[in-house]
Amino acid sequence: MRAMSHWLREHWIAVGSPIVLFIAWEWASATGLLREAFFPRPSTIVIHLRHLAADGTLWDHAAMTLVRIGWAFALAAVLGVGIGLAMGLWRQLGEGLDPVFAVIYPIPSILFLPLVSFLVPPGEIALVVTTAVTSFFLIAFTTTHGVRQIDRLVVEAAVHYGARGWRLFATVLLPGALPFIFIGLRLGLGFALIVVVAVEIVSTSRGLGALLWLSWQILKVEDMYATFFVIALLGAVLSYGLAALRTRLLPWVQDVAERAG
Amino acid sequence: MSLAVPAVLLVLWEICSRHAIVSPRYFPPPTTVGWVLVDGFAAGDLGTQSLVTLTRLGFAFATAAVPGVLLGLLMGMARPVRDAVEPYIAFIFPVPKITLLPFLTIILGVGEPAFVLTGATSAFFQIVISTLGGVQTMDPRLLEVGRNYGARGARLFWKVILPAALPAIFTGLRLGLGLALVALVAVEFIAAKSGLGHLVYRHWQMLSTPEMYAAFAIVGALGLLLTRGLRAVQARVLTWQEEIGRL
Repeated sequence: MRAMSHWLREHWIAVGSPIVLFIAWEWASATGLLREAFFPRPSTIVIHLRHLAADGTLWDHAAMTLVRIGWAFALAAVLGVGIGLAMGLWRQLGEGLDPVFAVIYPIPSILFLPLVSFLVPPGEIALVVTTAVTSFFLIAFTTTHGVRQIDRLVVEAAVHYGARGWRLFATVLLPGALPFIFIGLRLGLGFALIVVVAVEIVSTSRGLGALLWLSWQILKVEDMYATFFVIALLGAVLSYGLAALRTRLLPWVQDVAERAG
Repeated sequence: MSLAVPAVLLVLWEICSRHAIVSPRYFPPPTTVGWVLVDGFAAGDLGTQSLVTLTRLGFAFATAAVPGVLLGLLMGMARPVRDAVEPYIAFIFPVPKITLLPFLTIILGVGEPAFVLTGATSAFFQIVISTLGGVQTMDPRLLEVGRNYGARGARLFWKVILPAALPAIFTGLRLGLGLALVALVAVEFIAAKSGLGHLVYRHWQMLSTPEMYAAFAIVGALGLLLTRGLRAVQARVLTWQEEIGRL
C-alpha cells in the first residue's frame, strides 16, 4: 500500500493525463465542440466495444488476426534464425546474401502480396507468407549480426579448450548471439502485426484490419474507434509483453535496442 | 564479388523464364522488366509516379521532423511534459499507422492531406522516441561539466544537450524517413489512385506483370537509396560519434 502511494506520487502526471484527456474529450463531444460524427464520446465507444465483444464479432476477428500472426511469426522465426545463423557462421554465404537482403529488406512488405500470390495458393497462405516477409528479414539480419559481433577472443579460447562443431555452436556461438536473436524476434513480432493489419485491409473480409476497414466503408465510426483500440492493445501486449518476457528469461542480457535508443 | 550472388540469381531467373520453367506470365524475364523500366522513364509515367511518391514523402517527412524533434527534446528536458505525453506515445507507437488512414479520411476527406499525414505519423513517433532516447542516455557528466563551467538555459541546450543528442536525432530522422516511405507506399497500394504503390496494385490487378515488377524495383531502389545513403551521410556528418547507424 505504501509502495503504491509512493508510485502514484511519482507518476501522478502519467496516470492523470489520460484521465483528463478522456474527460475533456467526453465533454467536448457532448457539447458539440468536437463533431460527434468524427469524434464520438469515449463512453459511446465503450458501449460499442461491449456490443462487438458481446455478439462475438470482435473475438472472431481478433482470433483470426492472432492465428495469422502466430503462423507468420513461426515461419519467420524458424527461417530467419536458421538462415541468420548460417549467414553469420559461413562468411561466404553471408557476404553473398548481404546485397540481396539489402535490396529486398526496405521494400514495404505489402508490395510482396502480388508476388507471393503468384508463388503460393492465394488466400490464407499467401496472406500469412506476406506477413512473414519483413519479420523474416529483420530476424535474419539481427541473428547474423548477433553471431558476427561475438568476441573473437571468446571463440578462440573455446577452440583452444577443445570445443568444436556442435559443442562450439551450442555452448559459445548460440548463447553469444541470443540477445540479438531475441531483439530480432521482438521486432519481428511487432512487424508481423503491422503487416497483417495492412494485408487484411487489402485482401480479406476477416481479421481486425478488415473489421476496421469495413467499419470505415459503412461509416460506423464508433466501431472504427473500438477496433482501433483493440489493435493498439494488441500492439502494446506484443511489444511490451515480449520485452518483459526477455527480462525474465534472459535477465543477464541488456536489451541492445533499448541501449541504442 | 559481393554482387555475384544477385547477378547469378537474375541470370537464373532469366533462363528459367525464357524456357518457361517458371511461368513467364507471372515471372517475366528480368531483361523484359528492364526494358519496361527504360521505356517507362523515357515515355511512360514511371517518372511521374515516382515523383508523386517522392513529393508525398517529402511533405510527410517535413510534417513529422520538426514537431517530432521538438517534442522529443522537450520531453527529454522537462519531466512533467514527458510524464504527460509518454503514455500516448507508448500506446500509439506499436500500432500499425495504416489504421490511422480511415480516421484521417473521415476527418480530412479522401485525398492528399490524409495520405501524407498517415506517412507523417509513422515517422513522427519514431523521431520522438529516438530524440527522447538521445537526451535521456546522454552522459550526465557532460551536463555537470557544462553547468560547472557556467552554462545555463539556452547555452547549456545549444552547447551541451543538443550536440549530445544529435546522433540519436539523426538516427530517428533516418528511421522515420524509411517508415514514412513504407507507410506511404502501403497507403498508395490500398487507397490512393497514384504513386508507385498504386502502380504495383493496378498492374497486379491487370496482370501486366513486367510493369508491376518495374514499379516494385523502383520502390526497392528508393528504399535502398534512402537507408544506405542517409547512413553514409550520418557517418560523414557526425564523425565524432561511434556506434551510430546500428539497428
